[in-house]
Amino acid sequence: MSEKEELLKRLSDGVVDMEEDDVEEAAREYLEAGYPAFDGIMEGLVDGMNRASLLYEEEEYFVTDVLLCSDAMYIGLDILRPFLPEESGEGKKKGVIGVVEGDTHDIGKNLVKIMLETAGFDMVDLGRDVPLTQFIETAKEEGADFICMSTLMTTTMGGMEEVIRMLEEEVMRKKVKVMIGGGPISQKYADKIGADGYSQNAVEAVKLAKRLLNIA
Amino acid sequence: MLTPKERLHNVMKGKSVDRPPCICPGGMMNMVTAELMDAAGIYMPEAHTDAEKMAGLARAVYESGCFENYGVPFCMTIEAEELGARVEMGSLVYEPHVSGYAIESVEEFKKLPRMDTGRGRAKVVLDAIRILKENADSVPVIGNLTGPISTASSVMEPVIFYKELRKKNEQAHAYMEFITSQLITFGRAQIEAGADVIAISDPSGTGEILGPGYFKEFAVTYLNRLLDGLQLEKMGTIVHICGQMSPVYKEVQEVRSSVLSFDSVVPMKEAKANLKDRVLMGNVSTYALEFGEPEKVKTLARGCVKSGSDIISPACGLGMKSPLANVQAILKCLKEDA
Repeated sequence: MSEKEELLKRLSDGVVDMEEDDVEEAAREYLEAGYPAFDGIMEGLVDGMNRASLLYEEEEYFVTDVLLCSDAMYIGLDILRPFLPEESGEGKKKGVIGVVEGDTHDIGKNLVKIMLETAGFDMVDLGRDVPLTQFIETAKEEGADFICMSTLMTTTMGGMEEVIRMLEEEVMRKKVKVMIGGGPISQKYADKIGADGYSQNAVEAVKLAKRLLNIA
Repeated sequence: MLTPKERLHNVMKGKSVDRPPCICPGGMMNMVTAELMDAAGIYMPEAHTDAEKMAGLARAVYESGCFENYGVPFCMTIEAEELGARVEMGSLVYEPHVSGYAIESVEEFKKLPRMDTGRGRAKVVLDAIRILKENADSVPVIGNLTGPISTASSVMEPVIFYKELRKKNEQAHAYMEFITSQLITFGRAQIEAGADVIAISDPSGTGEILGPGYFKEFAVTYLNRLLDGLQLEKMGTIVHICGQMSPVYKEVQEVRSSVLSFDSVVPMKEAKANLKDRVLMGNVSTYALEFGEPEKVKTLARGCVKSGSDIISPACGLGMKSPLANVQAILKCLKEDA
């Protein structure tokens, strides 16, 4: 194994093992050795996060584990990102994500955001308890390709339908895909309110986003 | 003919009954809808802070033929608020929710105030229970508690909380001990005020979030400590856990409540097969209750009975726009089939 491969493996393993210190150390050594930041991110950190999602899918890892893996990944990203060449970010599909008004449960939303970012989407996070009009305004300002909404409460589900209605009113519906998720949400509910898709968990959300936006 | 209270009592003790009871506890399991508020002339958010209105709305649920119990409160923010979190009361359609946390890390829990059941909304709930109890010889009064993990992750930012279960394991346990002892205080006060049953919902403590290891170490441990801390003079306890059970059936079996309740992702047949000796409650789809027809609701309710559910209830909190006719259909069909 070359020195570069070894460092990439340490980055990847550090993410999978949730070892922030290891990731930090490996990222610094990687830069000092003069290897390109882009490979370090994609073949090291993102590779580790993808392995973590696979473990999540296999029910080896659970939400708490994935959150800690992503912490380790973001520590590495903070170190490597400043050394990326300028042009990146162009051509990435952009999404707006948030928990709808009335609800503050955002664990699932955070997880979906992490997974989508790992998969190469540019995500604008509106946080939780997001006023419904803000989804529309942000999507407009950012030229977003899709909106992701979640809620864990049955009482706030209706807000999602309202956002879709507003998108139609603004004649943005064809341009902006809508995906939804959360405890009380189902495929049936998505069909009923005219959302483009529903996903049960964060891994499925990435697959769904790729399918909706025709990304291989 | 059994009274609703006798029927629930018998089911909880594993005795035979004429037909399954139809229950919706309250708390996270919201049973108040827009139509019901109109019928009762009592509205949220006022009913969250006024004992007379809270009791009035709870009584309307029973009197309008929806469910065979009284239940309070109608949210899961009382405990967090009493422990220092900032709570917004919501609106006619939105439930109260936490808008500001009291601490930033499990290490800081000693800063938190203790549960004082003589003031604030804790007192409102106790007063409402007393009011309901006055004319409730035949109807069970259910008091609700937010579960230990859900309370703990409402007092501080949940993402940090979940991470600290691993990173600051010892302090996380100390924090959970504190939270659980506060919940015991509130639960005991509810039983003293007249609650027949205590229902505990812990939607943030699921097997899917925590994984089997932490589910056992934190969710099961503190649920049991809470259950053991409640006085014996009560009819029983219900624990509602959200999400898939398949990774954690073994651990769920250890929860020492009289009744276990699941949401609609758990097939009742599967639950019954895995938890043979347990009294199970559930789980009519709240989607069907909001968007379906009464006939569809009846089919689903009958399906629950057939699959081995002992107490028929919605799978989750009701959506505000659920038509009364749909909600009433569960109890109607149980009576028809009896």
